[in-house]
Amino acid sequence: MGLTDLLFFALSAVAIVSGWRVFATDSMVRASFLLLLSFVAVGLIIVMLAAPYIGVATVFMMAVEMMVMALFMVMFMMNPAGLNPMMMVHQHRFSIAAGVLAFAGLTAAILFTSFPENSVDPSTPVVHDLGIELLGPSMLIFETAGVTLLATMIGSVILSSRSGRFGMADQGSKPPGLEPDGEPAGRQPEQGGGHHHH
Amino acid sequence: MTLATVLIVAAALIGIGLYGALSQQSFVMLMMGLELMLNGGLLAVIGLWANTMGGAPEGQLLAIIIMAVMAVDMAIGFALVTAVYRKRQADVTESLTTMKH
Amino acid sequence: MTTFLAALLLILFLSVGFAGAAVADRAIPAFLAGQTAPSWRLSLADAVRLLQTQRIRTEAPDALLWWLAPALYLALAIVGLAVIPFGQDLVAIPSEVGIVVWGSCEALTIVAVFMFGWSANAPLALIGAYRYVAIGLPAMLLSMFVLIGAALPAESLGFIEIVEAQRTVWNVVRQPAGLILFLMLGLAISLRGPFDYASPEDLAGGVTADVSGPGLLAWKIARLTMLVSVSAVTATAFLGGYLGPILPGFVWLLLKTAVVLLVLIWAGSVFARMPPARMMSVIWTMLLPLSFLMLLVVGVELLLWG
Repeated sequence: MGLTDLLFFALSAVAIVSGWRVFATDSMVRASFLLLLSFVAVGLIIVMLAAPYIGVATVFMMAVEMMVMALFMVMFMMNPAGLNPMMMVHQHRFSIAAGVLAFAGLTAAILFTSFPENSVDPSTPVVHDLGIELLGPSMLIFETAGVTLLATMIGSVILSSRSGRFGMADQGSKPPGLEPDGEPAGRQPEQGGGHHHH
Repeated sequence: MTLATVLIVAAALIGIGLYGALSQQSFVMLMMGLELMLNGGLLAVIGLWANTMGGAPEGQLLAIIIMAVMAVDMAIGFALVTAVYRKRQADVTESLTTMKH
Repeated sequence: MTTFLAALLLILFLSVGFAGAAVADRAIPAFLAGQTAPSWRLSLADAVRLLQTQRIRTEAPDALLWWLAPALYLALAIVGLAVIPFGQDLVAIPSEVGIVVWGSCEALTIVAVFMFGWSANAPLALIGAYRYVAIGLPAMLLSMFVLIGAALPAESLGFIEIVEAQRTVWNVVRQPAGLILFLMLGLAISLRGPFDYASPEDLAGGVTADVSGPGLLAWKIARLTMLVSVSAVTATAFLGGYLGPILPGFVWLLLKTAVVLLVLIWAGSVFARMPPARMMSVIWTMLLPLSFLMLLVVGVELLLWG
């Protein structure tokens, strides 16, 4: 067992344990930092697997994503500081069973499959190859991803903007009535949504 | 660091992510579960690319697509959370029993 | 062997740069105010005073993250500097994706500052952390576009190739606005002057409002180290890094870093801070398009004459 293996097992342990702690910690901000730790560990494993660009870019992207996630946590969620114990779950047993089953099934599939043995040559210029591939043969795929991201930007601005179709979203944004001063059109939610304090 | 161990780590991440996505009530925690599953997927893709494809660049391209999917998931997810919060001051999945209003 | 030598040079660079930054950080504001520069011993005395200061505690802080945040900040500064070449093969962490590594350090720095402000569990610290993230994320975004502009002529993401591509003409000639944008990021990432939204005076110190003693000292050390790192990255990406006649490359990099560092400290004490909301709209609506434009200009220039 060489140094590489040791490092790999350490990073895997960090990735899995912090991934599990995400759902076991009391504070949601701490949860997003733990998820970031899991991503950083996976990113380093990917660097060890001879894909330096993908690995480092994962760390880069996830640092930004988890930062945004932590911001939203503090903005919307209760108990960001983790001062109270928190366990907000539903269908808990079923979820545990599903998670374990997924892991067991995938592991069985991995163990009973014989994969072709064709490792990447350490001297391959993988980053260069990726660049040529992105802007050469697979340019259409890459550009599709770009257009998808643009659509995402437009969609998220529309979804999250305050002014709705019938006025400001936080002032109800109710559709006008079918007759003057009548009940607003459409179905009403029961007792105005569900504002739970935990 | 054989292919099997890398894939088993990825499977563990996918399992934990599935548990989180199914069990969490809070929207953002649910999204964390989804992200964790994608994380495992990314690791599996790169593990397979490094060990079975002999460095063909298409494998890395797939990883880039997964990262784009992660970004889309986050952005649309948070936009939806914002929209729901504006409308109902709600942050848990149980409050979405009706999709209208 | 060269890696070992590069690691030694890295330590030397860090210590010289840090000492210089600590002195200049006091001398330049004094000089601008028309006073004589205070003795270098004052910095040491300040450090010793902070070591002996009583530690204050907030109510229910996240103690682990509160201690971890300065360490993370310092580690990121060192990792960011470690991918910078001191000579043609003299680099502590040789990486063909050096720019992306530096970008990750930038992004994680924002996480570290947020962590520091959030874990204090105090209002002013959290407001400082929030404002910093709001300004820091777009600032980091545009710094990446500027760095891609610096990488375009090299056709590589590695810092060695970027320096080698500047043998004909330095990147600052290709994209002068890029240098200025990157200096702005330097101010943001080292929490300085007009971009210091994390620990400004109007928040009574922001993320550092509730820190005292050794914790504050660690934070200040990390901040100055990041200033050295970001200066070295600027010198490498825009001012030709280790390139230069007669003197060895390490000395040239040190000199260029010193110039950038002095400019940063000067800019930090001369320019005023805008309100966060206005700064946000400036970054998103003016500076980000400007960085796209710079990228386009470099691309067109390389297509026509490259």
